[in-house]
Amino acid sequence: MDACWAVDKELERLFEKYSSATDRTQKTLDDFIASLRSFINELSERTSDELITEGARASVVEFIDRAKSVSNSVSTCHKDLHGSVSKLGKTIDRNFTSDFSSVITEGAFDGEWRQTLLNEVICEHFLRQGMLDIAESLNEDASLELSQERKEPFLELHRILEALRQHILEPALDWAERNRDELNRKKSPLEFKLHRLRFIELIKHGSMKQIEVLQYAKKLAPFAELHTKDMQLLMGSLLYLNNGIENSTYSFLFEDSSWIEICDIFTRDACGLLGLSVESPLSVGINAGCKALPPLLSIRQVMQSRQVAGVWSSKEELPVEIDLGQDYRFHSIFACPILRQQSTEQNPPMRLTCGHVISKEALHKLVVGNTNRFKCPYCPVEMTTAETKQIYF
Amino acid sequence: MADVKTLEHSTLKVPYELLNKQFRASQKIIDREASKLNSSASELEKKLHDPSLTIGDVTSALTTMVDNLSMLKRKAEESIQEELGASRVIKRRLAHLQERDTPGIKETMPPTWWQKNRLDRMLVEYFLRAGYYNSALKLAKHSNIEDLTNIDLFMMSKEIEDSLAKCDTKPCLSWCVDNRSKLRKMKSTLEFNVRKQEYVELIREEKPLEAIRHARKYLSSAESGQVSEVQKLMGMLAFSSKNPENPYGDVFDMSNWQKLVLQFRQENFKLHQLNSTSVFTATLQAGLSALKTLHCYKDDANLRHPDCPVCSTHLNELAQPLPFAHCTNSKLVCSITGSALNEHNPPMMLPNGRIYGLKALENMAAVNDGRVVCPRTREIYHVDNIEKVFVM
Repeated sequence: MDACWAVDKELERLFEKYSSATDRTQKTLDDFIASLRSFINELSERTSDELITEGARASVVEFIDRAKSVSNSVSTCHKDLHGSVSKLGKTIDRNFTSDFSSVITEGAFDGEWRQTLLNEVICEHFLRQGMLDIAESLNEDASLELSQERKEPFLELHRILEALRQHILEPALDWAERNRDELNRKKSPLEFKLHRLRFIELIKHGSMKQIEVLQYAKKLAPFAELHTKDMQLLMGSLLYLNNGIENSTYSFLFEDSSWIEICDIFTRDACGLLGLSVESPLSVGINAGCKALPPLLSIRQVMQSRQVAGVWSSKEELPVEIDLGQDYRFHSIFACPILRQQSTEQNPPMRLTCGHVISKEALHKLVVGNTNRFKCPYCPVEMTTAETKQIYF
Repeated sequence: MADVKTLEHSTLKVPYELLNKQFRASQKIIDREASKLNSSASELEKKLHDPSLTIGDVTSALTTMVDNLSMLKRKAEESIQEELGASRVIKRRLAHLQERDTPGIKETMPPTWWQKNRLDRMLVEYFLRAGYYNSALKLAKHSNIEDLTNIDLFMMSKEIEDSLAKCDTKPCLSWCVDNRSKLRKMKSTLEFNVRKQEYVELIREEKPLEAIRHARKYLSSAESGQVSEVQKLMGMLAFSSKNPENPYGDVFDMSNWQKLVLQFRQENFKLHQLNSTSVFTATLQAGLSALKTLHCYKDDANLRHPDCPVCSTHLNELAQPLPFAHCTNSKLVCSITGSALNEHNPPMMLPNGRIYGLKALENMAAVNDGRVVCPRTREIYHVDNIEKVFVM
């Protein structure tokens, strides 16, 4: 945050300069206006067609000189602020990167077709977040033709989530029932968890609703096999229905966290069924970019200053490895520990009999003569190439 | 906070440029008022030589001076208030940038709300650049980031663009005058091109005399590089614009107005130190590159990951021309659970060579009498037949 801090310091300094300059200007002007006024008052005690005296004449000369110097000083006083103003600009330039054209792939997003693709991605991003009017507006501005069919899944997802956030279960239950088969195939706990929440809502009313609670419990029965423990907990709470569950060991049932959990489960399952990603791809891409851009820029700068730009100008791969962290890892990448290269279809990873993995090319380099035998580079085990096995991550 | 340093230059620099502009305008106003005061002082000085000067003359001259002074005072005050207003915009934005960090914790990801806010800010800018003004305004309002984005600048630019699109040059020319010194420094040809277009329009309207007068006034001061262009323009006078075989047909093309709009937009960006590409585009490119792996482009749909942005249909297409991520260290992920493969969840090989995490396989075996099904090939193995692999 040093960058912000440096600019902030400069800005504070500028504010100080402004306030002292204003004070000074105001004081100079006020003083001068006051003394002029009192002189005018003095003069107006006489009749106005009287000739001016020598003494008054001398004072007027003084006032004229002072007027000139005041006008000069007010102008200079403001002009002097320029130093601080432009220093602020320079501090911003020094501390922030103004130009990232070096890391841009020129024309990558150009052309009408790509522009439309990008705008559709943005539009879906808004739909997913329930910012419908903005999605609509973009649809119009960018003349996209996003069909109602493409929009509907996002809209439904958002409607149900919004209801869940307000602790309304019906839309989600309805959805879960409609998609029961697919959810079961995925072993999703969604439907059970929804019924569980409904059950908890019922027992909140205490013993008055005991009959209803018992009737509702029958709805839970089909899920007993997979959720035995949870079921028993729920039914156990009935022991305290009269004395108030909130004071019993079952008070945890009323915690808000179950609602947050159900939103998460629903989002995950619904996205899975609809073929959507859990997070908005645009947010993920941009957050990754925010992490990737700084190291990319600094490597470009080093490359330019050392004049090795030509060496690494490959458009195929980024010049540095960027570790985005586990949350941004979606695919397994195997890089051969010997060749320091990513595996490809031509150069796949091979498992040696000892369990170590190296790439096929590295393996062939280890073979001595035409014996087909080689030693694992990491342990003393020897084997033939035929004993190794291609693996798939 | 490298991301702030890299991405937020325009967030601060644009309001700074506005402050700088305001400063220069204020200086002009103050100087004008100061010189008024000066001249009334000099006038009085001259009168002093007159021996028949009465008290009435002096008081009225001095009263004018007091008026000048009060005016100067008021104008100076107003100007400085304007400048302070412009500086406060910078302060406000700076404060927002500083909210990225929780005090005491270093080098972490910014809070989620801040990230969302950043994306919205980027999108607003992207929309403004693309000319999607409605969406930009709505988004800024919805996310309450109006004072964090450079909407005013773009709305001003929209007005000028709209007028150019309607073949009205006035707003653009007055913008050129306002920013003349900076445009000259940038060696901008915008004003020349606008004047040229006006000339072309005069010829189109068959008003050759007016066209010559216009050219004399505005085009004769052309720089050396533009001389041949001017000669070409003058050559047009010899032909009738109605003649279909006019060799200058391309000059009469109405699309030239659209070119002026684009040129104006570019120069306006440059003037305010905005990059020609939006921060949004640059960031998205970098992000997609960093995420782009060979797997995202394999034909086998099983290798695609539903949560990977580069695997999603549209972004996959967009990321096509971008470079792949560079990778010298293995990064392994269990394709069943999506969790990392490491010492806590070691990678295991099924007899068919497919690798999964131990945890996923054990869970599968636990509910399946010790059998595991390979999700990719549907082959069934016993959990005892899985083998360890060591990835360095």
